[in-house]
Amino acid sequence: MPKLIDFKLILTNIPDLLQYLPITLGIVLLSMVVGLVLALGIALVRLHKIPVLNQIFTVLVSFVRGTPLLVQLYLSYYGVPIALRYWNYYNHTNFNINHVPAFLFVFVAFAINEAAYNSENIRGALLSVDDGEIEAAETLGMTGWQILRRITIPEALVVALPTLGNQFISLIKGTSLAFVAGVIEMTAEGQIIAGRTFRYFEVYLSLAIIYWALTVITEILIRLIEKRINRFRVAQHLVGTPAPTETPIVGAQVLASKEVRS
Amino acid sequence: MITIEHLAKKFDDHQIFSDINLEIQTGEIIGIIGPSGSGKSTLLRCLNLLETPDAGTITIDDQQIVAPHITKAQRLKFRQASTMVFQQFNLFRQKNAWENVAEGLITVKKIPKDEAKARALQELDRVGLAPYANFYPEQLSGGQKQRVAIARSLATDAKLLLLDEPTSALDLELVGEVLQTLKQVVLDHPNFTVILVSHELGFVQEVASRVLFFDDGRIQEAGTPDEVLVHPQHERTKQFLARFATQTVHN
Repeated sequence: MPKLIDFKLILTNIPDLLQYLPITLGIVLLSMVVGLVLALGIALVRLHKIPVLNQIFTVLVSFVRGTPLLVQLYLSYYGVPIALRYWNYYNHTNFNINHVPAFLFVFVAFAINEAAYNSENIRGALLSVDDGEIEAAETLGMTGWQILRRITIPEALVVALPTLGNQFISLIKGTSLAFVAGVIEMTAEGQIIAGRTFRYFEVYLSLAIIYWALTVITEILIRLIEKRINRFRVAQHLVGTPAPTETPIVGAQVLASKEVRS
Repeated sequence: MITIEHLAKKFDDHQIFSDINLEIQTGEIIGIIGPSGSGKSTLLRCLNLLETPDAGTITIDDQQIVAPHITKAQRLKFRQASTMVFQQFNLFRQKNAWENVAEGLITVKKIPKDEAKARALQELDRVGLAPYANFYPEQLSGGQKQRVAIARSLATDAKLLLLDEPTSALDLELVGEVLQTLKQVVLDHPNFTVILVSHELGFVQEVASRVLFFDDGRIQEAGTPDEVLVHPQHERTKQFLARFATQTVHN
């Protein structure tokens, strides 16, 4: 029987591909963090209906959600150099586009993409926060920023996390498009290996295994975070339970968790 | 001392009140009664600037604000002169009882966490909830939640306590514990000024030093609990009390 599939190669490819895992994760983490911060800004602008910015962001979000990521990457790849040349022209500077790392184009495109998708999610989550708690915080004399940081964002996170998790996972997989902007990450390296060995199927199978594993790990992490931020949701069995007065306060909590389980 | 002059507030086209004038001495316990929608909660919320008045001035001790032009800094400082207990408790659901009480101490008063926790436990003990310090709001009954909210208010050290229908959202069997707690608070802090909006006329009669009957955005009648609740002069007050009496009988 002819050797149609080289099973061993599927495994031996993996360490070579994993050398580029830091690049993939770098794109993911950096654009996720920047994307989230931008998304929060966009969501706040749209919630407070700040004039001009609100309209600009509404169009931006619509545009990003309405165009393929691949096209956005090309726009960033060809657009950033043009923007740089305009900058050079008007400011009499002399930045060289060749000194701009390819990573930057990819990062800009992904970060904006993440921001657009997450902003809608975050906006919805912020709207779901109980007004009463915000009022309570206001009467305590907390500043707008303190309320946002200590009350609103933690509350909204509970609502937003499942969707943010999905977005994060699709971003991990989306990085496989980065090669079009000249960044060599895992998928690009896979193509290089395949070009050398002509074993395309094996390489892509190796890649599929790696991406799948990454996704599973991410899902586990998200579930752990979810569990942690939902710890305030405890069954309501305790209503009216008289707490023993001599028990130390920590003990009362232990008692509580035991009763909930039983 | 609290002075309210020419206070006005409207929502869209609906004028809630247009000219409220009121003077409250330090240590007074004011009970505000009146039909729903008469503007009594809005007045309370204006005192804490949860609602920005359209016009008028409010003076609490040495601080004065002139509506509607209130700067952010003014607003923050003015808010700290008073503290509010809400109908719906409004506890921070992600924080347990002591964290709820300590929140204002940590963020607003910048007290170190350990110290704030000690103070929070002390306040919880005062409302009889020390053993529940690590319980989250969802583990507490309505009455317990409201007592945590009272402890949170007391921890702010504000000398003006605003109580916005503190027992209206509670099951009848839980009203008693909250009223008992409030009564204790009033007894423990004779220097506090308290403004209580409530439908618990019996409680108002018991604790208030002055009762205001509010209707149609106006203070229709004011006086001692005996004057307003037992011997009302105005037709509206009589109607309100009569309606209330029949409802109570039906219950």
